[in-house]
Amino acid sequence: MKKKVLTTLLCVSLAATLLAGCGGKSDTPASADTAPATEDAAPATEDAAPATDASVATGGDYKFEIIVKSYQSSYWQAAVTGVNQKAEELGVTVNCTGPNAESDIADQVNMLNNAINNQPNGIGLAACDQEACLDSLQTAMDKGIPVVCFDSGIPSAPEGSVYATIATDNYAAGATAAENLYPALKDKIASATAPVRIGEVNQEATSESITSRGLGFIDKIIELAKADGKAVAVIGNEYYVNNCSEKGDEASADIIIEVAVPAQTTVELCATEASVILNKADTIGMFGSNQVAAEGILTANENLDVLGTDPATSILAAGFDAGSVIKGAITSGKMFGAVTQSPLAMGQTTVEVLTKIANGESVSDVPTQGYWYDSTNMKDASIAPNLYD
Amino acid sequence: MSKNSVPNTQNKSVISRLGGQKFIVLLVVVGLIIFFSAVSPDFRKYSTAMSILDYSYYIALMAIGVTFPLITGGVDLSIGTGLICYSLTGGFLIVQKGWPVWAGMLMALLLSIVIGLLNGVLVSIMNLPPFLATLCTCMITRGLGSIFSNRLGISWPTSGTPGSWFRNIFKITVNGTKIPLGFLWVLLLVAVMAFVLNHTKIGRYTIAIGSNKEATILSGINVKFYHIMAYVISGLFAGLAAIAYSAVFSTVQPGTGAGFELEAIGGAIIGGVSASGGVGSVGGSLIGVFVICLLKTGLPYIGLQANWQQIITGLVLIGAVLVDIMKKKKEKI
Repeated sequence: MKKKVLTTLLCVSLAATLLAGCGGKSDTPASADTAPATEDAAPATEDAAPATDASVATGGDYKFEIIVKSYQSSYWQAAVTGVNQKAEELGVTVNCTGPNAESDIADQVNMLNNAINNQPNGIGLAACDQEACLDSLQTAMDKGIPVVCFDSGIPSAPEGSVYATIATDNYAAGATAAENLYPALKDKIASATAPVRIGEVNQEATSESITSRGLGFIDKIIELAKADGKAVAVIGNEYYVNNCSEKGDEASADIIIEVAVPAQTTVELCATEASVILNKADTIGMFGSNQVAAEGILTANENLDVLGTDPATSILAAGFDAGSVIKGAITSGKMFGAVTQSPLAMGQTTVEVLTKIANGESVSDVPTQGYWYDSTNMKDASIAPNLYD
Repeated sequence: MSKNSVPNTQNKSVISRLGGQKFIVLLVVVGLIIFFSAVSPDFRKYSTAMSILDYSYYIALMAIGVTFPLITGGVDLSIGTGLICYSLTGGFLIVQKGWPVWAGMLMALLLSIVIGLLNGVLVSIMNLPPFLATLCTCMITRGLGSIFSNRLGISWPTSGTPGSWFRNIFKITVNGTKIPLGFLWVLLLVAVMAFVLNHTKIGRYTIAIGSNKEATILSGINVKFYHIMAYVISGLFAGLAAIAYSAVFSTVQPGTGAGFELEAIGGAIIGGVSASGGVGSVGGSLIGVFVICLLKTGLPYIGLQANWQQIITGLVLIGAVLVDIMKKKKEKI
């Protein structure tokens, strides 16, 4: 009997270890997340990519190989659309390939090797794995083929093999959400007689992408509020409180930013944390810094019914990423808006940078933008392709 | 609900003591509700109760199912990742392949039965330790889920879109008030499975296997079959939990689910299922699940950082296992 008890306890603890090993993974499904984002509220300005200088448009007969992480998801289809658009515009030839799934690392390495054998003028690579491509990158460098990484960088790439990395500036993407949410709340903040609260749900406090977005949002709110002569205090999760630009003093603040981080990265725990903030009478705004957190806020609202688009009567929530749930909530007026990453612009920028390299110009890393979208601009030609399911 | 049954030790004081434990756990549930309500005014709201119920269905359903392998002295670690796998499979067929929602649900349930059967065969026929067998299927289902979904999150039809009727199985809105229908289904299933456990061959032999497997074999019972059935039941309820999960939450993310099983198993053990098998009740498991759900929801409301919830749940679990061990000791005396 005792043995069995021991076994069961062991089971539980081993399984817990297993769980710990898998923790924090929910950010990976859709490489969407590891990807790009930021731009100020001006989605209408087509050129989210670094401005299309005239100098680039001398493509001629360059031939580029583009390898995406997988070929099926709408996120990557948007990237390929961007690649093809820019190739047509610049008059270059591109050949896009990618494995069936992002986990097919060996397939992708084969594709990269084939691409190198084709002797293109350059290769655009969204690597599935940070290590698997290192040998191939060395070969490409030996053969004098420039490589540009997009979506995800390869930090340990042989020096000189990767000419530029095109990936999201997450800090600026978080700030984009604040830049769009704050003006809508401004009147309410100005007329408030007591402190008001803006909540933020981050699924964790460890990954670069999530923490940057979270801090970008907080710092931008602080900056905008200060410009209006309002004092801000940041409370809640220690990481965000200690790393934001100024944590302020809760007792004298006009605006309190409350940051919640659940124990695990599940929608349900995000929802519980969101419920706690949404339940407070002084809450006027919310921000969820990725798909899981944003959907957590929406799940909490299922029972609370406090979200909307009118600051006078409801709490305004901003999300991050796309997906049918968030898109549906924005269309139906439950969510005020969200920041989406820009696979389309990433694809465009990749071709542009490759062309520049082929033209002998020097290039540097390009942070791509995140776009603010809401019910008014979701269908815009510059936004819609970025709203993957 | 269900009677606690100890076939080999038909001694009244044991039964009353076990009933006592279920009663104590119920008191703990009531105590937690009173405590959280007293500390946080927001906790008292109807919407909070709705959220607690909403988020409890999938754990409760898993706990009902996993009670059976636990009573045989085994365990089923595959129900958490299995839940996500079944949900992704059903969702994939509905959203990507255009299947009707009922067909997607049926496929999710079928797959859950297949995985349950696989667990049962591995444990009962191949004689793998339940911990290892179900750990393997835990990994398999996690991989399968990612393959089916192409590593992307899948959203079953959201409220207001065609095909979202299945969400009304668990919650309907009448005159603006939300009714937690799902809780009725959970109670109904608890009653049905309590009956199965206590008044059918499957249930009685499940308890017999957990109490004394050798004696059960010697008495000529087809132990292999009934042992497999315990895992099939566990699988099927993980499938039902997958439907509940898909109906309550919006997007199912591949790669998640590991850890759900611990909440269900923890709930069952808190509710009086013996960690060494042979003893347990379906009703007790349900009450145990609510201890876990209340801690999960309540602790953020009183301003505790979320990690404390896991620590406190762990401590409660240790307490429950210790009670079980003490019970066994007394039995031996």
